[in-house]
Amino acid sequence: MTVTDSDSELIRRAQADDIDAFCLLAERYARRIHLLAFHYCRNAHDAEDLSQDVWLKAYQAMRSFRSDSSFYTWLRRITINAFLNHRRSSLFRRNGQTTPVQLVEIDSETFEMPLESRSTSPENIYNKLLFENVVEALGELTPQQRLAFLLRHYEGMSYDEIANAMNCSTGTVKKGVSRAIVKLRAKLSPDSDTQESLTSLASEY
Amino acid sequence: MHNCRDTKEQITEFVLDGADRRPDEVLLAELRACVECRAEFNTLSATLRVTTRLRDTTAPSEAYWNGYHERLRHKLVNANAESTQSSSPSLRPLWLARFFKATVPVPAPVAAALIIACAVLISIAIRAARRQPSPQTPSIVHVPVTTPVVQEKEKIVTRVVYRDRVSPARTSKRVVDPSRVESTFAKSQKPQNAEIPATLLGFKPTEEVKLTIIKGGSQNEK
Repeated sequence: MTVTDSDSELIRRAQADDIDAFCLLAERYARRIHLLAFHYCRNAHDAEDLSQDVWLKAYQAMRSFRSDSSFYTWLRRITINAFLNHRRSSLFRRNGQTTPVQLVEIDSETFEMPLESRSTSPENIYNKLLFENVVEALGELTPQQRLAFLLRHYEGMSYDEIANAMNCSTGTVKKGVSRAIVKLRAKLSPDSDTQESLTSLASEY
Repeated sequence: MHNCRDTKEQITEFVLDGADRRPDEVLLAELRACVECRAEFNTLSATLRVTTRLRDTTAPSEAYWNGYHERLRHKLVNANAESTQSSSPSLRPLWLARFFKATVPVPAPVAAALIIACAVLISIAIRAARRQPSPQTPSIVHVPVTTPVVQEKEKIVTRVVYRDRVSPARTSKRVVDPSRVESTFAKSQKPQNAEIPATLLGFKPTEEVKLTIIKGGSQNEK
């Protein structure tokens, strides 16, 4: 196996139950899926479970891939369905806590930063504080709104694509993204001083 | 005509698209002209740049990914083994599995018509089944029945009747009509042979009379 193997060759072998080929495909796209899962769950352990659940589903559905779209587009569709189903199952597991607000409270308590961000440098501490604000802002959204924002902002999908993938209207997606931006602005720039510091911080990178 | 609301919507889309989109001249002109829209642009772009930077900095380390892929491979192997055990290819061929999993897109009116037709057919079949009595095979049951036999028993009653040859004179003290007495007396004085038919001449009645009474006769008889 070489690194230059194309997706189509790996896909063909993965469709023939070649686990090695499928794992190579997973290595190529796992970071993007994991990033989405991490910002969606706001919890490192849940993010790993959810992202690996996506890969398991993709492996089981590998034979149904028809190359009508790119492999990542097909994988992202599975990811979105897995995220939405994860939301339903997590709501089901937490008896009585069926509202998004209660789900957010629990997730915020179990929030963890990734391993790389656990150093004690001032920059990392500040990043951690910023990240907590982002997570808190995303936590105030419903899972559907949060997912819409992530797909729009991180994945660059259009509103129509998101609406089609999430099986909802374009207006619902736009509303969710707009609401996410409002929440983020309120959390990241509560006053003018912080806004200036954030602006200067953002301009440094 | 500048409209801050429309411009803010364009700003949001522009900032969300990020580096993939170049600002058009119209948007740039409106940002230059309107202070509020420019402030909105600065705030929004700063906010989303922070989230973008955090997205990149919060990525797990390489050491994490090694373990991640090992765990994923382990799960895949387990899932593969389970699926192999659960569905044997010889018992369940692929075409059969595809047949049961296949879905056919049907227009909604056609589907509705099919459902209604099925419902009507089922209701008709149920009604027909209710109307037609189910043909039951006659079962022969042998029941012993004892028919009562009425047997009339002949009951023979023997009664002895004593008769006086000469009836005694009445001694009753009741008032008797003389004419009637006379006629009765005259009757009694008539010769007996006068009333006896010629065929009964010489007949001598026995002293005992045997009466046979059959039950079920007249009510007076006992």
